[in-house]
Amino acid sequence: MSAVTATSVAVGRGAAPVLTGVELTVHAGERIALVGGNGSGKTTLLRALAGIDRPHAGTIAWAGGALPPGPARAATVGVVFQGEPPSRFDVRTLVGLGLALDGPLSPSARRTADAALAAAGLAGLAERACASLSGGEAQRALLARALVAGPRLLLLDEPTNHLDPARQAALLDELDRLRGTVAVVIATHDLGLAATCDRVALLAGGRIAALGPATDVLTPTRLAAALGVAVRRIDDPAGGPPLVRVTGVAPGGAP
Amino acid sequence: MSRTAVPLLAVAVAALAAVAVCAGPAGWRWPWAWDAIVVDLRAPRVVLAGVVGAALAVAGVAMQAVLHNDLAEPYLLGLSGGASTGAVLALAAGGVPAGAGAAAGALGASALVRALARGPFDPTRLILAGVAVGAVCSSVTGLAIALAPPERLLRSATFWLFGGLGAPPWPVVAAPAAILVAATAWLRARAERLDRLSLGADVAAALGVDVARVRRGVLVAAIGLTAVTVAAAGLIGFVGLIAPHAARRWVGAPVRRCLPVAALGGAALVIAADLAARTAAAPREVPVGLVTALVGGPFFLLQLRRGVTA
Repeated sequence: MSAVTATSVAVGRGAAPVLTGVELTVHAGERIALVGGNGSGKTTLLRALAGIDRPHAGTIAWAGGALPPGPARAATVGVVFQGEPPSRFDVRTLVGLGLALDGPLSPSARRTADAALAAAGLAGLAERACASLSGGEAQRALLARALVAGPRLLLLDEPTNHLDPARQAALLDELDRLRGTVAVVIATHDLGLAATCDRVALLAGGRIAALGPATDVLTPTRLAAALGVAVRRIDDPAGGPPLVRVTGVAPGGAP
Repeated sequence: MSRTAVPLLAVAVAALAAVAVCAGPAGWRWPWAWDAIVVDLRAPRVVLAGVVGAALAVAGVAMQAVLHNDLAEPYLLGLSGGASTGAVLALAAGGVPAGAGAAAGALGASALVRALARGPFDPTRLILAGVAVGAVCSSVTGLAIALAPPERLLRSATFWLFGGLGAPPWPVVAAPAAILVAATAWLRARAERLDRLSLGADVAAALGVDVARVRRGVLVAAIGLTAVTVAAAGLIGFVGLIAPHAARRWVGAPVRRCLPVAALGGAALVIAADLAARTAAAPREVPVGLVTALVGGPFFLLQLRRGVTA
């Protein structure tokens, strides 16, 4: 069963939709990148897939149905937003809140939270204040919060923003760990990250301009048309994912 | 340590209350005597001080969670000032109970602050708007008091601008106590939802919180708590800032743990402030809000220096 399916969806935060005619099925366990310029609707679509904003038109189905209320919702879809400030809680409390329970953590819920902390490599930091974590640790804690309830769908908004290359690599390891079990949708400007995804949706002109394997979508022609930049592919001779480098602004300028 | 905080504080509040009942300008009442001075003057005053302190602290905890802003509290966000203005205008106009006027004033102030702080989320701007609205409210209150027929006001400008507990009849203590109990119970039942809300509205929505509904409830609770305390004890500032901060330091930020500790801490703070207010310069009495401001003002500056945390 698909993790989430959008059918004829129109989304936008104002009165007019930013994106229309969105047809997107995220299969179980796959990783999809949403790529596009500023204002192309990446975050807006992500918010709709998280069930935060209702689409203007069309329907979204999570695991074949509507988004359940309360704790079951956290067990359906997990989200990490861009630039979430550090919370005032300790790490275990933050991750425990991801279970969306009303009431103090039961012993079994606490074990679930501790297991998520251990999986994120944060077992030793459970009692630490979130504000005292390094950038990489803070992001792992936010990921653990989004995953603790065991959702089959994880939504990430610009997860590599402000991460140095080592932390970006660590994030990729985390995402690789989820491959096959948790479907991940990433809104990103980071073409290198997009290139690691199974499929890429290129958003331009108020619609999904292209959707397919990274190698088919992240082509110089398509990117130049959608983003207004000239890019060059650097294929790794060792067989890794294709890297994409922005080499300059195309004539006519970036949008 | 956090498990012992509530019993420890409860004992401390009880002991402080006992000292406060025994002490006063009419002399130290010991051995204990249930005479008229204790039963009719000091006891209701001390109980009201405790209730007012707890109510302001509870409002602070809730507002700080919902607004993702550690400086949010009834006084700094202008709610107390609005309540005071509303109460004075109600009394000056006549025929409207002070409590209803206070509630309307707090509601108006909150709407004004929200309108002023509209736009991209900025914790500093929210506080700035609150302080500005509070300042305008103070001048309207002063003006209303200066122009109103004196026989209608019953209470001095000092009371409405700097607080005062006086010698409240027991029924005056009952209303804030009832609102305090109801609001605390409502908030405690939603403690984890408030925790999730403090992570941000979008995160909370993704974690199954009905954000609009909880926010509305907290606004109603904060306005109710502020209105009823201002109507009974005038304008007392900074309690909603100091008590929740101290509570978070002690037992951590989760609302379930921090709410009772903040409430007891707020009670202790106002009981102690009132004790100081009526004994330090006896037989003259200093307004209790001046004492809390003397402690709270520097505390606020310290927090500002550390940076407004979102």
